[in-house]
Amino acid sequence: MLLRNAEILFNDRVSSELYHMGLLCPEIAARIQPGQFLMVRVQEGFDPLLRRPFAVHRIHHNDPPTSFEMLYRVVGRGTRLLADMQAAASLNLLGPLGRGFQVPDHDGFVLMVAGGIGIAPLPHLAETLVSSGFRGPFVLWFGGKTATELVCVKHFKDLGFAVQLVTEDGSEGRQGLVTGHLEQWLSQQGELPKVMYSCGPYPMQRLVAEMAARLGIPSQLSMEALMGCGVGACLSCSLRCRPLEDGPDPHYLNVCQDGPVFAGEEIVWE
Amino acid sequence: MTNDKPVNLAVELGPLRLENPVMVASGTFGYGQEYAELVPPERLGAMVVKGISLEPRSGNPPPRIWETCGGMLNAIGLQNVGLRAFLEEKLPWLKPLLVPVIVNLFGNTVEEYGKLAAALDGQEGVAGLEINISCPNVKAGGMTFGSDPEMVFQVVSAVRSRTNLPVITKLTPNVTDITVTARAAQDAGTDILSLINTVAGMAVDVQTRQPRLANVVGGLSGPAIRPIALRMVWQVVQVSRVPVIGLGGIVSVEDALEFLLVGAKAIQVGTANFVNPRVTLEIIDGLEDYLRQQGLVDINEIIGTLEIPEQSQGADCR
Ligand SMILES: Cc1cc2nc3c(=O)[nH]c(=O)nc-3n(C[C@H](O)[C@H](O)[C@H](O)COP(=O)(O)OP(=O)(O)OC[C@H]3O[C@@H](n4cnc5c(N)ncnc54)[C@H](O)[C@@H]3O)c2cc1C
Ligand SMILES: Cc1cc2nc3c(=O)[nH]c(=O)nc-3n(C[C@H](O)[C@H](O)[C@H](O)COP(=O)(O)O)c2cc1C
Ligand code: FES
Repeated sequence: MLLRNAEILFNDRVSSELYHMGLLCPEIAARIQPGQFLMVRVQEGFDPLLRRPFAVHRIHHNDPPTSFEMLYRVVGRGTRLLADMQAAASLNLLGPLGRGFQVPDHDGFVLMVAGGIGIAPLPHLAETLVSSGFRGPFVLWFGGKTATELVCVKHFKDLGFAVQLVTEDGSEGRQGLVTGHLEQWLSQQGELPKVMYSCGPYPMQRLVAEMAARLGIPSQLSMEALMGCGVGACLSCSLRCRPLEDGPDPHYLNVCQDGPVFAGEEIVWE
Repeated sequence: MTNDKPVNLAVELGPLRLENPVMVASGTFGYGQEYAELVPPERLGAMVVKGISLEPRSGNPPPRIWETCGGMLNAIGLQNVGLRAFLEEKLPWLKPLLVPVIVNLFGNTVEEYGKLAAALDGQEGVAGLEINISCPNVKAGGMTFGSDPEMVFQVVSAVRSRTNLPVITKLTPNVTDITVTARAAQDAGTDILSLINTVAGMAVDVQTRQPRLANVVGGLSGPAIRPIALRMVWQVVQVSRVPVIGLGGIVSVEDALEFLLVGAKAIQVGTANFVNPRVTLEIIDGLEDYLRQQGLVDINEIIGTLEIPEQSQGADCR
């Protein structure tokens, strides 16, 4: 865990509410594992007070890596302040934080599922799998409200992914929700995925985890929670999980430290 | 007037001696390990660890926090590992540290406070106890101990009679007159007072019409509460025979100095750790710089040196 000022390399608008930010910080870049996140101080003052959590979207694969990217959606005060920042300004980062995705033991069919901004941490994972020599097959199921939310599809295709798109308004791909189409599609495939990685809103994550459990596929879900510290010190970011033997019930784990990536079967859905 | 002589930051709070007056507040620094990569614990004046109870506690369902203007509400629900796991899993890491470790404790009944104090007495690695009295008294219909002077007296007496460790009583601001509960704690034999705990608060999501916290109400902390905290510390210092530790919304060396000037012998930093994990180190360095600028050599020369111009004294109604 490091506390560093990174230099903003670029901060580009990708679509109406989505921004892409490039950050230069060699020490953090060298340590980030797929699925880990950063606590970003969106301004120097104390209002808004708390840091904001963001996934690392991609690492730039120069050797050694020196820079990386975030993909973020403007939803409130903090992200609006981020969107107003200019290249060459500096941004204070705490990270890398948390337990990220685990790379599978063996090569084979890998399925990724993303809902909306849930796409953010997956390119780094995809690049890591490909650069570690995994050959797949790789499939991404990606759902959003409308076509403009479906960003970085070309990047996945370039990495060798088959990409299935779903929009709620039908403006691109199938119409509806990812979870409404995925299981039927899976039942038509010759083999089942070795692992499912998923990131998106809580209701989607729940359906993905339940489906994975029904089909006996291990799932790894990147979860969200409101965060105070990001390091396990404040116990704000609790997620209800399976109790330990003779441990207290309900059993809460910290998304920031025990996660943000959890195995589907760890979580007690509410 | 600046000097380049070495400056002394050490302070004495009754039986507790600190190398510097900057502590971290309970519940905002875990057990020290969480931030150890960024803040060497040895540099702190003291470390107050997350509040513990006799048995482990699950805490409240999420959402547990909500950010407000210059502050945050929390309703963690006193989630903690419990006494046994603290002694077996947390204390061994804390023991060798060259920093006074203060254990914050709370109970559901007066008897539980006493039992905890007895269990922690004589534990190597524990430099003192801080009693969190801002918790519901299960036997008195859930009213908080800390808002009733009689209960404060009983809780502090129960701890005092079961330990030889320095005892700090942490006062809640959610009372009409904090000097009354301060006196009760003092009469029961507390060595030190610390204040303030969080200010009771609430927030609502107007879209869903639901409270922002699953617990409905929570405690406000951060810079938003600093003026309230400072006023209360100043009031308590006037009536107190024992040393006072000031906290509530401190985010900078200027804030820390405000509390020292009104008479706090030490300060604690809470919520600001989340925003800037190295803030305590910056405050310690800033205190040295301030002393040098003022041409002073000892932090004790500024504690309680608030100057009140004559014409502004006495007005009670405002
Ligand atoms: C581990 C993790 C990784 C994340 N990665 C990304 C990412 O890569 N891209 C992205 O766009 N978003 C990501 N998010 C969500 C992002 O943190 C929030 O959108 C952001 O904090 C909103 O801040 P705001 O001030 O604009 O919104 P406001 O609604 O004004 O924020 C108010 C408070 O709520 C918190 N908050 C609001 N929404 C969320 C949320 N969904 N999750 C957690 N806290 C929230 C804020 O941090 C702040 O404390 C991630 C969240 C987590 C927990
Ligand atoms: C997330 C969180 C958890 C806390 N947990 C405890 C606790 O266990 N025991 C306690 O006495 N105070 C607890 N507090 C109160 C703080 O120690 C402190 O009194 C309060 O936050 C005011 O200081 P600040 O504004 O600097 O944070 C907690 C505060 C926060 C924000
Ligand atoms: S955000 Fe503080 S414990 Fe997770």
